[in-house]
Amino acid sequence: MRDDPDAEAPTVLVPVKVLEGQALPETLATFLAPADVVVLGYHVLPEQTPAEQASLQFEERAQAAVENIAHAFREAGGAAETRVAFTHDRDQTVERVATEAGATAILLPNPVGEVDDLLVAVRGAIDADRLAALVATLIGGGDQRVTVLGVAADGTDFDAEAAVADVRERLRVRGVAADRITTETAASERPVADIVARSGAFDAVVMGESEETLWSVLFGDETERVAEGAIAPVLVVRRGPATESTSG
Amino acid sequence: MMSDEGGGGSVDVEAGPAAAVAGSAELSDETSVTEEGTELERTIGLAGGLSIGVGTMIGAGIFVFPGLAAGRAGPAAAGSFAIGAVVALLVALPTSELATAMPKSGGGYYFVSRALGALPGAVVGLSIWLGLVFATAFYLVGFGSYAAGVLTEVGVPVGNSTVVSLALVSGALLTGLNLFGTENAAKLQNYVVGLLLAILVVFLGYGGLDALGVFGTASAPERFMPFGPFPMFTTAALVFTSYLGFAQVATVAGDIKRPGRNLPLAMVGSVLAVGALYVATIFVATSAFGSGALSSFGETAIVEVARAFAGRAGAVAILLAGLLATISSANASILSTSRAVFAVSRDELLPTAASRMNLRYGTPHVALALGGGPTLALVAIGEVEVLAEVASFLHLVMYGLICVALIAMRRDEPAWYDPAFRVPYYPLVAVPGAVASFGLIAFMQPLSRIVGVAIMLVTAGWYKYYASDVSLKGAL
Repeated sequence: MRDDPDAEAPTVLVPVKVLEGQALPETLATFLAPADVVVLGYHVLPEQTPAEQASLQFEERAQAAVENIAHAFREAGGAAETRVAFTHDRDQTVERVATEAGATAILLPNPVGEVDDLLVAVRGAIDADRLAALVATLIGGGDQRVTVLGVAADGTDFDAEAAVADVRERLRVRGVAADRITTETAASERPVADIVARSGAFDAVVMGESEETLWSVLFGDETERVAEGAIAPVLVVRRGPATESTSG
Repeated sequence: MMSDEGGGGSVDVEAGPAAAVAGSAELSDETSVTEEGTELERTIGLAGGLSIGVGTMIGAGIFVFPGLAAGRAGPAAAGSFAIGAVVALLVALPTSELATAMPKSGGGYYFVSRALGALPGAVVGLSIWLGLVFATAFYLVGFGSYAAGVLTEVGVPVGNSTVVSLALVSGALLTGLNLFGTENAAKLQNYVVGLLLAILVVFLGYGGLDALGVFGTASAPERFMPFGPFPMFTTAALVFTSYLGFAQVATVAGDIKRPGRNLPLAMVGSVLAVGALYVATIFVATSAFGSGALSSFGETAIVEVARAFAGRAGAVAILLAGLLATISSANASILSTSRAVFAVSRDELLPTAASRMNLRYGTPHVALALGGGPTLALVAIGEVEVLAEVASFLHLVMYGLICVALIAMRRDEPAWYDPAFRVPYYPLVAVPGAVASFGLIAFMQPLSRIVGVAIMLVTAGWYKYYASDVSLKGAL
């Protein structure tokens, strides 16, 4: 389905709170099967517990649980690799493993049924090429519908129309039929709340990694706030190593 | 499309040149990896390491000892603190080298057991657990004194038993907090230490200028050694408790980022920082009052010094700083105790049940209880000087053996020994370090030495009885 048969499949990092019994819906495994998946089972410890101490007692259990999840991905026809980490800082671990694994996107899991309708939210400079490659890989062979939603925050000069058209074109080039793609744009005071509100009508959300701002450091990343508010799982597309931005 | 990115999905990118380190875990700046491939994230940075070192130490030297030390040695108590700082540095350098070669939880115990064998290792590992228990009890009694001082300040009458009860309550609370997982305890500790340093720098800056005569006449200097030079050394042995924090940095070696850089910086940096503050404190305090008057104020003498400079506001500020400092020292020590218990139980010198953690709170409840429980029993005794000296005794034995361990490692370097930091001219550091550590013990009160030796004999007996068949992974 892809343009370039030699290109590697994009890698999706799936972080799972492995000792808290977090499970992944089977439908999600099916949805992600076309991509390479790295399942990262992690456990966050309070500062007073040495990571080594936790690993001595819970390592086997964590590895077995992660293997189980990876097995579900393999059953669904995908390639899945596993990592297990004990940490005091979830974000540091996820970011490190994502970099080491060369992950295109990170999954922020939420419950999901069959994925038929996909929301691609664009609300600032993103790596449109990586995003389009990921979406095309995931749904290229199926018949799911994609809605590309561009949201411009009030008072910014972000050209949502152009960005949405750009993503649409890239998806089409990568083999997603034009009649499966819907586009929408909106201007909003609170883009995150808007995306969360719209996400209710979709089975999964794909969006770009947001830039680190003072706000995001204090109150949490925008994408994380979307994931917390949304009912659907969110795939966060990471910035490429060299491409700072493409759209806008 | 992602050809030029990092590992491209391979799992073994962490396996660097340091992979073949003792204890079979692979090491890198960001993670260590267990035999089964599980990654252990390193999350404590330089600031966190410094905060453990400074936070553990600062409670005692400034807020408990000035009165006691000035009573024994006069203004030469400043010399006692300087001697302590030099000894601490002589030990901090070898500890840094060993810690960068073996950045594993357990610190001093781990190096001594790997370099010198299971028996000395067991004695050090078990004694340091109890040494930390004594140190924690000492900090808690200090905290009790400050809390009682606050009560006095607001007009509540307090007696001697109040100090002990306040210490007991705070000890139980701290242990409880750590048992039930205070997620941001470490960050809180960083802020507490920062706030403390700010208060102290203002206080010592003002007091120092005052003593030099900037705000009036210079205070007439008292004779530096009113009791001769000998008390300066015995007092150094007493106040060495104020330097027991730097090696605690090594107990978190397994969780510290970029251990090759951060461990030496945090250890040496925290000794230099608190050493300078201690010497300045004694200078300011003995300039403000004669050492006789200072001594009569007891554990909270520094509050009277602040009152002399800035009236009630000064006294209240220092009382609050004292509360923060002693509680942060106590808390840091409880955490170190738990890590010390983990380190010996990992090697099966204690039943492995001691290192079990509970999943609900994610905390090592058994090890924390093994620290907190005996601490409370010791607090009830309430003898500050004996608690301090026994804690120092047990730490000094470990420090001396760490220096010996460095010599042993260097004389016969195993293939995996590849420290990122090497002590220059190591015999010139490690030999005086060992001699000074063991030497300070000779200046302690007989009671402290008897208790210390008894504890070491009991730990050796425990080793013979329980663990003589233990073989250590990665021993020299």
